[in-house]
This record gives sequence, structure tokens and C-alpha cells, in this order.
Amino acid sequence: MPKIACFVEKYNFSDPREEAALQNFKTAAEKQGQEFHFLFREGISDVHKFDAVFIRATTDPLNTAYVVSKTAWELGLKVIDDPESITICGNKVHQYELFEKYNVPRIPTMFLNKDEFHHKRITDIFDQLGKPVVIKAPYTSFSKYVEKAACETSFRDVCKRFFKKSDVLAVQKFTPTEFDWRVGVLNNDVLYVCKYMIPKGRWKHGAKLRGKPTIVWGRTVALRKETIPQSLREVALKACSVVGKGLYGVDIKEVNGEFVVVEVNDNPSIYAGYEDQKDKDLYSKIISYLTV
Amino acid sequence: MVVSNIDLTTDSRVIDPATFLDSTIKEPTLNINNDYRYLKIGYYVSLHAEVLGNAVIPSCENIIDSSRTPILLLRAARAGVPTLPFLVTDSVKKIIAQLGFPVVVFAVNPFMYDGYKTASNKSALYRAMKSLGMNYKFAVCVQPFKGEVTTFKSFFGKCSQDVETQKISRQVYEVFKIPVCKLHVQKADGKAYLCGLQPVSKDELSEQDLKMISREVSLLSEQGEHFGA
Repeated sequence: MPKIACFVEKYNFSDPREEAALQNFKTAAEKQGQEFHFLFREGISDVHKFDAVFIRATTDPLNTAYVVSKTAWELGLKVIDDPESITICGNKVHQYELFEKYNVPRIPTMFLNKDEFHHKRITDIFDQLGKPVVIKAPYTSFSKYVEKAACETSFRDVCKRFFKKSDVLAVQKFTPTEFDWRVGVLNNDVLYVCKYMIPKGRWKHGAKLRGKPTIVWGRTVALRKETIPQSLREVALKACSVVGKGLYGVDIKEVNGEFVVVEVNDNPSIYAGYEDQKDKDLYSKIISYLTV
Repeated sequence: MVVSNIDLTTDSRVIDPATFLDSTIKEPTLNINNDYRYLKIGYYVSLHAEVLGNAVIPSCENIIDSSRTPILLLRAARAGVPTLPFLVTDSVKKIIAQLGFPVVVFAVNPFMYDGYKTASNKSALYRAMKSLGMNYKFAVCVQPFKGEVTTFKSFFGKCSQDVETQKISRQVYEVFKIPVCKLHVQKADGKAYLCGLQPVSKDELSEQDLKMISREVSLLSEQGEHFGA
């Protein structure tokens, strides 16, 4: 009986909706005659005992999840998220360079490296992108390390913090919308579609309350994937094609009737009752992909 | 084309990382940096070269893999480099059951990239796990500690060590192509085993080291090697 390892960390079970989704994966696998085991940090060295690895812990080339993914890949196992997808999606500078190269419709983006962090360059960025701009650390995820700056002082303040970890940052034109499209893609095919609503008075899906550590998330509204505009589908699939053939969540904004990619995420959030609302078969499709 | 953050004395064309990142020069690229860590400028040079379609030494994949000790050891072992068995875990119990004592412990977390700790009993292992696992938040990579660990600089796979260690240095370069790095090698029972790899700080580069790196760069350029091929 083929065995799937689902690499998770304790925090994956802290939200009941995520825990329910993980159980749904397990049920789907067992229905297809697969064994499905949760693999924690303690058992990483047991990866070789499985036929496929499904990573649900947060991925980044510097996280343990990359070690699991690359080990599985080197051993010839099928793996979601594969190491190349983690490398590209885990670094937004990498991703935007590829979008530029392959002409993927995207939000206007500039790069800033530590050595050119001076008044002239900052002025140039504001001249080209307008004010405010959005500064993104390349390792951003869950709306973290993405901040807005409308003047040179706040721009410098944000960059100084982000430069502690990365020597290059991405700066984007501020593009406020009521919601971001989230298109779930698996192996070049649309898996599910949602609208990630932006909380009132905020500009990103997950926003901090002033003075508090709590993050407030906007609502998730699932849509039937058959009803989405063809051009949205095309833009999502084009963006994924420069990353790989795995499982992705593409964030897209609609600006003046045009669809532009915000980013492609590997390891997309899948919460029971949210992303799966209109596409209950997404669990079995992902399991099938892992075991074919 | 050579992109370097180190002052080289070579006739080859050398440009600094910031200039290269602003350019679209499509040429085989030799990226010389004392620190190739992920997210640092040395990494971005290789990334930019790859996106431009340039053959580049070192590749981004090799930069990431060589700095993650379990992947370094896995890939090195598969290429025939002598290594000892290792465990990636956050469980003290598992380490004791499978490896016993003494052990050498390397960090596998996003924040630590240099050094290691050794442990010859349970309390020392807990201390090492607490420190390198950042208060038990991350897993660590553990190997048996059978002899002594030697740390040395390796430039283009060359080092001034004994013959067996020189062979490991050369083999690691053949697999990962990291031109400038430090290697940790364990010598036990008359044999040498690769343990880890880490960046070299600029202060650690002597005049002699710079001359050696420059000579290697000139040699590669003269040979017309297609970097990254």
C-alpha cells in the first residue's frame, strides 16, 4: 500500500479549520487505498520510508520544510512542495525577476539592493512608482513583511528592518483593491477559486490591529471555478508556468479590467469550509497527483 | 565575466555585485564572494545570472543545499564523498537511541550558519539542542563524534591539509562548486569525513588567500572555462 508522509508542525493543528482540512486529506488518501501519516520534526530522518511527501508546514529555503522537500526529491519521491517551487516562491525577488523575463502581467515592481540604498535611488523609486509604495521582503508570507511607505523617512525605516535579513528587496506600486483573487492551481490546472476580501479600511488580506499583535483576516469567499473570467484563468496559469507544476495559490488583482499577478505562493492555505467550499474534490485531486 | 565582492588581483574583467545586479550582461559568470548565504548579495548575484540565462558558478541550488547540513551530507554522500551517518530531529531520545554518545551537532534553522557543538552526555546534548535548536524550536543535524573536527578554508576545492582532506575538499567542490568556503571535516579511525560547510568572513581572508583566489580566477579565465557548465 503506497504511503504518503504529510510533513506538519504543531501550529498546523492550532486552527480547527486547518486541522479539519488535514483530516480531509487523510480521509481522501485512505479512500484511495493510500496510507497517510503525519510526519513531525522528530521523524524527518524517516522520509525514505515513504512513497510521497506532502508538505503542509510553512516552506522557505531556510526552514526545515526545505530539508524535508529536498531530501524527498533526492530520494526520488513525489513531493509537494518540490524544492524548486519552494526556492522560487520563497523569494519574491526571484519570482518577480522571472515574471519580468517571461512577461507575466504583474504589479509594477522595482528592486532595491543594500548598496544603492540612498536618496537618489529612493527618489527614483517614488518617481517611477508614485506614492505610497509597497515594500516587500522577499520572504514574505501570510501578509507579513509587506509594508507601505509614503515618504523617504518611513521608506528608510521599513527597508532598514527588512535589509537585516535580505540584501535585496522588492518595491511595488501601491494597488489597493477590495479583494485579491486567489486561484488554486495544481499541475497546470485550476483547482479552486476564492476571493480574499481586504478588511475594511485596510489594504492587505491580513492586517494588524493598531497597537496589537493580533492579525485580522478578511473573509474568504469561494467561487465556482467554471464561472471565472477566462483571462483570470490564463493569467494564473501563465504565472504558475514559470514556477513549476506543483500546487500553488496565485494572488491576482483586478485593475481597470486587467488581471495582474501579486504573487504565486507554494504551500497555499487550505482551510475546511474556506478554499474547499465549492470544490470538495480538491483533497482527492491533490492525493491523486501525489501518487500517480 | 567575474563578479566579486573581494579585491582580486587578476587581469580578468571583474565587476562588483551591485553593478552586475543592475545590468543585463549575458555571459558565463563566475561569482566570487566570501559569503554565499541565501538572501545575501552573493546569492542574488547567482540568482540574477541564472534568470539572465547565464551559466554561473555557483548555482543557486548548490548555494542553498551546501549551507543546509543534512542536504550537504546527503548529496555529498551520494557523490562518493566520505560522510558519517546523520540524524535530523528535535528528539534527544531518538539521538541517544540511534547514535549514542559522543555526537557533533549542527544547526538546521534560518538564523545560524556557522559552528557546531559536541556533546558527550545527555545534559550536554540538551544544552546543544537548546542552543542550536533555538530553545527547541528547530530540528538539528547530529552525527557521531568519533575523533576530532578540523575546520579549514577551501578555495576552488583546494586547501592546505593532508592528502585525504584535500581529496574531500576537491570532491565537495566538484559537487557544489562553491569557490570560497570553510569546511568542517572529522578525522576518525585514520579516515576523514565531511561534516559541514560555512561561509568565510572577510577578516579571515589573508593576503595569501586573496592571491590564491586571484590565481585560480585567472587560471579559469585563461582556460576559457564555461563557468557553470
